[in-house]
Amino acid sequence: MHKPENKSPNIVGFIGFVLLVVVLAVLPHMLSFSQQEILVLLVINVLLVCSYRLLTLTGEWSLAHAVIMGVGAYASALASKELSVPVPLAMLIGASVAGFLAFLLSFPLFRMKGFYFLIASFAAGEVIRLSWKWSDLTFLFGGPKGIKRIPPFPDFLTIDFYEPVNYYYLCVVVVAVSLLILYRVEKSRIGLTFHAIHWQDKLAESVGVNTFRYRMLAFVISAFFAGLAGALYAHYVGAIAPKRFDVEEMVYILIWAIVGGTATFYGPIIGVVALTILNEVVLRSLGVDEMRPMFYGAVLIIAILFMPNGLEGLVPKIKNLFTGPPKDGNRSLTPSQATE
Amino acid sequence: MTSKFTISRRDFLSTTAAATVMAGVSMPKIAFGADDVVKIGFLAPLTGEVAAWGKPGLDGCQIWADWVNADGGVKIGDKAYKVEFVPYDDEYDPSKARTGAVKLIKEVGVKFVMMLGGDPWPGAAPIAEKEQMLFSTLLPSDLSPETTLLVAPCEVHPIYNVTGVEWLAEKKPELKTAVICAQDDSLGKPSVATYLAAFEAAGIEVLGKPIFFDPATTDFAPIMSKMLALKPDIVCLDTCYADYVHPLVEQAFQQGFKGQMISCTADFYQKMVEKTSKEFMEGFVFQFPDFDDPALNAEHVNFRKPNDFYAEFVKRFGAGEWSAVSWEYASIMDLWADAAGRAGTTEPVKVLEAMQVGGTGKQAFGEADWWGKELFGIDNALVGLWPVVKITDGKARIQEFKSIPAWWDKHKDLLIKHMTALDQMYFQRG
Amino acid sequence: MTPELFFQTVINATYAASYMALIAVGFVLIFGVMGVVNFAHGELYMAGAYTVVALYADQGFPFFLAVAAGLVFVGVLGLLMEFALFRPLRDNPLGGLIASIGFLLILQTIAVLGFGVRMENVPPSTQDKIVFLNGVVLTYQRLYVIVAAIGLLTALWLFLRKSKFGWALRACAQDREAAALQGMSINNTARLAMFIGAALAGVAGALTAPLVSPTPFMGHPVVVAAFIIIIVGGLGSLEGAVLVSILYAFVHTFVTTLYDGTLANIVGLLLMLAVLIVKPTGLFGAKERA
Repeated sequence: MHKPENKSPNIVGFIGFVLLVVVLAVLPHMLSFSQQEILVLLVINVLLVCSYRLLTLTGEWSLAHAVIMGVGAYASALASKELSVPVPLAMLIGASVAGFLAFLLSFPLFRMKGFYFLIASFAAGEVIRLSWKWSDLTFLFGGPKGIKRIPPFPDFLTIDFYEPVNYYYLCVVVVAVSLLILYRVEKSRIGLTFHAIHWQDKLAESVGVNTFRYRMLAFVISAFFAGLAGALYAHYVGAIAPKRFDVEEMVYILIWAIVGGTATFYGPIIGVVALTILNEVVLRSLGVDEMRPMFYGAVLIIAILFMPNGLEGLVPKIKNLFTGPPKDGNRSLTPSQATE
Repeated sequence: MTSKFTISRRDFLSTTAAATVMAGVSMPKIAFGADDVVKIGFLAPLTGEVAAWGKPGLDGCQIWADWVNADGGVKIGDKAYKVEFVPYDDEYDPSKARTGAVKLIKEVGVKFVMMLGGDPWPGAAPIAEKEQMLFSTLLPSDLSPETTLLVAPCEVHPIYNVTGVEWLAEKKPELKTAVICAQDDSLGKPSVATYLAAFEAAGIEVLGKPIFFDPATTDFAPIMSKMLALKPDIVCLDTCYADYVHPLVEQAFQQGFKGQMISCTADFYQKMVEKTSKEFMEGFVFQFPDFDDPALNAEHVNFRKPNDFYAEFVKRFGAGEWSAVSWEYASIMDLWADAAGRAGTTEPVKVLEAMQVGGTGKQAFGEADWWGKELFGIDNALVGLWPVVKITDGKARIQEFKSIPAWWDKHKDLLIKHMTALDQMYFQRG
Repeated sequence: MTPELFFQTVINATYAASYMALIAVGFVLIFGVMGVVNFAHGELYMAGAYTVVALYADQGFPFFLAVAAGLVFVGVLGLLMEFALFRPLRDNPLGGLIASIGFLLILQTIAVLGFGVRMENVPPSTQDKIVFLNGVVLTYQRLYVIVAAIGLLTALWLFLRKSKFGWALRACAQDREAAALQGMSINNTARLAMFIGAALAGVAGALTAPLVSPTPFMGHPVVVAAFIIIIVGGLGSLEGAVLVSILYAFVHTFVTTLYDGTLANIVGLLLMLAVLIVKPTGLFGAKERA
């Protein structure tokens, strides 16, 4: 299904790719210092929300994703701080621990579907999060205060990764590779099976697909990259606490995904980028700090009422504005639709 | 006389907004600022659940700025500077605090940043280090040897709690036993250690283990039942948010407690009197005076015009709004303005040097020592006298100013022992 | 545990069970009829408390008048949610959940703007209390909550059993499509469910306002507890919600008294997980709604 179809889209794609690289490379230099900080967190959140989308492909919506990000953050922070594991390796450990935990959680959680899964994932996440807070485990997780002075990403040659611009480039590379993997998974046989489980799970089972194993696989991959995002966060900010991964953060992940739309690969990315700019740049500069949650709430309601497909639904329309209505149906299709 | 240099708040806000927008679209490498205004960052939670410890402090600062600016500003070197507070909402989150610190320091060009401290501080700490910026916190548990540019110049929570217990033991030697409950977080823990040390020093036995409760607790009846079942002479509420002090006190009243109560704070205590009774609240001991207290006019008190400040605060925001944080950020500004004046510059490192010259400083309640080496690993906490406040006939009145260093000299081993047991020493903290 | 502490804890738990039942029954009613997880339910509870803050504490109206106003006002908020959010999103349960999150943020911000971020103080309407022989105490203020819970929930139960509306409501909660096929007005039953569900939360908030310190964020822990209760009780089951409220309140209160509050929360969540794994439809739930 990934045979080169014809020459011209590849050239267009190549030019698009080069443009994207140039934009991503130049972007931080066009921003103010504080916007550079926001940009780093934004790139991390892109990975977070894209990893979330992978699980939604199977039709399941989890409320544990923020906590799983926290698992990656805690594991990576503890590995590097207490066991002196080099930070890049600790990050991989953090992501793996998050993935392994998802593997364990699969056994109870995937006995359920849909709404029950949603609620059960919430409960499982909260149990994990409360154990970080619990006074009897303070010696390990630091209690409500969490873990401070997490070792930063080590300098590479003369590159100081404390500088937001450098850490941004690091994150862009890590996130780009991760997104590529997520994309390949989605377009592979496995990804198609996820879709099949979502829309026709009984049918999929009847033709011999072990739906439990595929759900578990999606959950584990999704958790691995959420954990990686958590690790990237922990070693940048240098401090984590249980509150950072609470249900409020989970709500933000949900909002990004839903306002952006989850039908396409780029939908959640549009969501997180647009809402971060709205929240951190536009609303803050208006000096209406106390009213920011209300704006956010209103945007959410408007989006869900009037753009049920999310912001991604606007992309083809905008395209049409520039190119006119598509004459050849195939051309306006997005990459993900084209392979479906 | 200063008409030439007067910049109205509105003008200032609009220029700041314009500058912010410009910073967004252009290369932002120029720090914006007029020569005769010194900007102070206010990096604290302004929205969300912890906002109650940020927003009222900003209100108090506004009074401070209006007074100082009406007087012509702060004299630094041969110039008078108007003071302008630039707030940034850190949402009590370390990553937002980091972003805010970068914005305030590198874009707005502030010369000093005041924080509430706690969870957000570790996010801002490396920025303080890198940009050589002076920061202040209300929570000295943020202090550590690595962070030389962070000071706790007003409230050295929770060490001053020893004064209340010491005073109580002197005045009411018949009280022999106590129970403690505390919120299970970075505010409650070190405070529990302090009370345990203070009770031990005073020869008062603490019954049972301290009871930690989750900040998400909605009903305090079970906690109070548990405490009262131990039949204590003293119920100690440790350092709790007002949201918890009120229902705890109400429960103590409802469940028929007749003994002594002691707490770090009793914000909005008039409401507690309303909820219980004057008789019940009689003798309640805590540590935060109303600033209309005549005792604050004593010679040694450095906070300027405390009674007028209280009156102005009540006039602007209402009598029920006065709380512990209303005056604290403003008192830190007194200290900063004094130090900057003596340093002759707003340069943060120079101001800090001037602040700490001679190892003493003018803390709000009197001359105090820069202290903390043994507890925080650094002498960046300003410790001296602290008031013991008692409710008498429904009104809080200062009973006595007691010396924290005097207690420390006698009982420091106890405090270190209990702090260590609860993992609160600087070398144990994360 | 001394006998006094035991009896006091029983009374504490009875009170907790009462207000949790008011909230959980409303929550489960809305879920049953609308098919929507109303994340803003805790904020409806908060709105009830602030009605009492505004009318009773600030304006000096009689306490029970303020409570009645809270009931009506929050009920109307429920109608507003039904009309503006849940009706357009009827076939999109996740959409309803998200919209309720948006609504929650708006309600919180309105409370912050109108009353400030600080906690509010509501003086008790009475300080009378019943003191049992061994010193165990039940205050009238808490007794009101217990009485209101028993009264309102009994009334609701009778209403659901005896009236035509109640019958339609139950039918919708059990099977919406079938109910529609029977010619019932989905819109009317939805409105009724939202009004009753919201009003119950409002009344709980209004009655407990003098007992807690209302803040704009007070709804959050409450909605988490309601979540646990309706899962353990079974999603469509009103009786389950009541029984599990009692069970949960007793377990939570006793664990808090004997051990600590964080452990009590963990126990509650583990209980919920266990029930989900063993019997996903809940202890009293009949049919699966995926």
